[in-house]
Amino acid sequence: MIEVKELSHSFRVGKKGKETEVPVLKELSLKARDGEIVSIVGRSGSGKSTLLHILAGFLQPDTGRVLVDGTDLTAMNEAQRAAFRLERFGFVFQNFQLMPGLTAFENIELPLTLKGVPAAERKRKVEELLESTGLTEIRGHYPNELSGGQQQRVGIARALITEPPVIFADEPTGSLDSETEQDILNLILSLNRKYGITFVIITHDDEVAAIANRQYRMHDGELTEGGLRHVV
Amino acid sequence: MSFKDQIGFVRQHIRRNRLRVFMTVLAATMGTAFLIVLASVGFGLQKTIKDDILSNQMVTQIEVYSEDMTDAKTDAMKEIDHVEAVVYRKQLVPVVMGEVEGHTGSMNTHFTNFGDEQASGFKLAEGRFPENQGEAIVGSKFAEQLVDESVETAEDEEPAYFEGELIGKTVNLSFSESEDGAETVPLTIVGIKEEPGKDWAFDGYLYVDQSLIGEMETAYAATSADLPEEEDMPFTSSQVNVYADDLANVKAITQTLKDDGYSVYSVSEEIEQIDVFFLALKAGLIFVGTIAILIASIGIFNTMTMAVTERTREIGVMKALGAGPKLIQRLFLMESAWIGIVGTVIAVVISYGVSFAANAILPIVVDAALGGETGDSFEVTFSVIPWQLVLIASAISLSVAMISGWRPARKATKTDVIGALRHEL
Repeated sequence: MIEVKELSHSFRVGKKGKETEVPVLKELSLKARDGEIVSIVGRSGSGKSTLLHILAGFLQPDTGRVLVDGTDLTAMNEAQRAAFRLERFGFVFQNFQLMPGLTAFENIELPLTLKGVPAAERKRKVEELLESTGLTEIRGHYPNELSGGQQQRVGIARALITEPPVIFADEPTGSLDSETEQDILNLILSLNRKYGITFVIITHDDEVAAIANRQYRMHDGELTEGGLRHVV
Repeated sequence: MSFKDQIGFVRQHIRRNRLRVFMTVLAATMGTAFLIVLASVGFGLQKTIKDDILSNQMVTQIEVYSEDMTDAKTDAMKEIDHVEAVVYRKQLVPVVMGEVEGHTGSMNTHFTNFGDEQASGFKLAEGRFPENQGEAIVGSKFAEQLVDESVETAEDEEPAYFEGELIGKTVNLSFSESEDGAETVPLTIVGIKEEPGKDWAFDGYLYVDQSLIGEMETAYAATSADLPEEEDMPFTSSQVNVYADDLANVKAITQTLKDDGYSVYSVSEEIEQIDVFFLALKAGLIFVGTIAILIASIGIFNTMTMAVTERTREIGVMKALGAGPKLIQRLFLMESAWIGIVGTVIAVVISYGVSFAANAILPIVVDAALGGETGDSFEVTFSVIPWQLVLIASAISLSVAMISGWRPARKATKTDVIGALRHEL
């Protein structure tokens, strides 16, 4: 379970010595239970990306706490947060963020390599996942040889490979056409049901947000819970 | 991430930037090879000069002076650590004339122990060492001591020196120029001593076994009755040379002998000065060579900075996925270390090649430039690369590579994940 308690953050802008503080997050709190899909919807500039960055441990908030299964992420240093991410989180990005020099196979393998998993076991796991996500055919392709939808599937497979309890998705369909968007959303839903993975999705798109069990709406750094529903 | 995977990762990056990495390795290679070859000249010249001194057999020799030298004292010297031989020569003080087939001259006679002489490196050009009484060895220029006085020569002409084979000839020693009445001591020449290493050294000596002193003394006594009395003139004067087993031990032996109250001279101090000079020279050459490596390091710095900038987004992705700052830093340091290692290895190979070529070709070129006048004695080693130099150069090259890769690697670890993920190429 992810719990956010009274989180505040502001950015300092302007020249050195004449900086002004722009508050981005204002004492917000949220919860994501295990196995839920949580969406955070908001316009650009609403602070939703900053919230995701803090949840993922990319950024340290000014005040407030982020608890993941009781562990305070904000109390860790950079190296500890990196190790924690590797162990517990998966990431899906808007522009896929695949390594251009690695094949689809190697991109999916990367988190396991970082974890120090032996090569034979890595190969077995990636092969399995390629099969279950229907990516076997493009395994040897480089990212620039893949369509947007294929790249995002590889991105999702990379997030899945370490079997993390939580996957953060930042505008996962932002770069895709509507048809492919639906494919990707279906994939997320099926993974959520099959493996019970918690998804935290950041989006500006209400259609995407609609797949969530728990919806939050972000406006000017403040969060409101938009309701809880059970997707059938 | 396992070390093997880290290497694989670095290799993949290098492969993607082959040309740039190659140029950087080339710069590192040139810098390191320049350092090694430059310093090798210092090592080469030092070797040449040291070899030259060593070939004269003088460096391990310690001359010992004492008013009252005895065999017991020289035997005691043999017991000092690292003493290879002690040669106790007694030079005949009264003038003695020698005659070989009508050629005569005054003889510079040394009484010695040939066993000790051999141990000290006394070598023969031809013949053998004396085995029986009445045998002698002569110096390489002994013939020039013997002149046939009956042959008249002009002033600007060379006198009529003895010519021909000396070995097997008998030299008759006598203490009086008038042949009648004087008691002669006949000696058979059985060997000729090797020419001394120094061109200016003139060896016209007569070397005989010390057991002959008695006989000579008798002959002298018989003759000197007719000669005017010379007061308190000793029959022989002593000359003791102690030989160390190695140049490195000369200093210690010299000190021991000094402590025992002898007056001592050795060239160890001169050698030390030569070493100090060459140490300074080599340090200077290495310093100049290091500047070349530092110039190459700018290339490494540049390449690594470019690599980090180019891969900002990738670094961001890796950090986002969970790569720690230490891993990121290590990956980039490994890359600059790789450039340093490959550059150094190639440089060492090239340096040995250049050194070999220089030693093979330069003497010929110099000889030709001097019109072939240098002759056989022209043996100069231009370049020597001892393993220490390889070690020093590698250490400098690798350290410089690591240091120049350090800042870019630090920059990589400080990459802001959020900014990097937005980074477009």
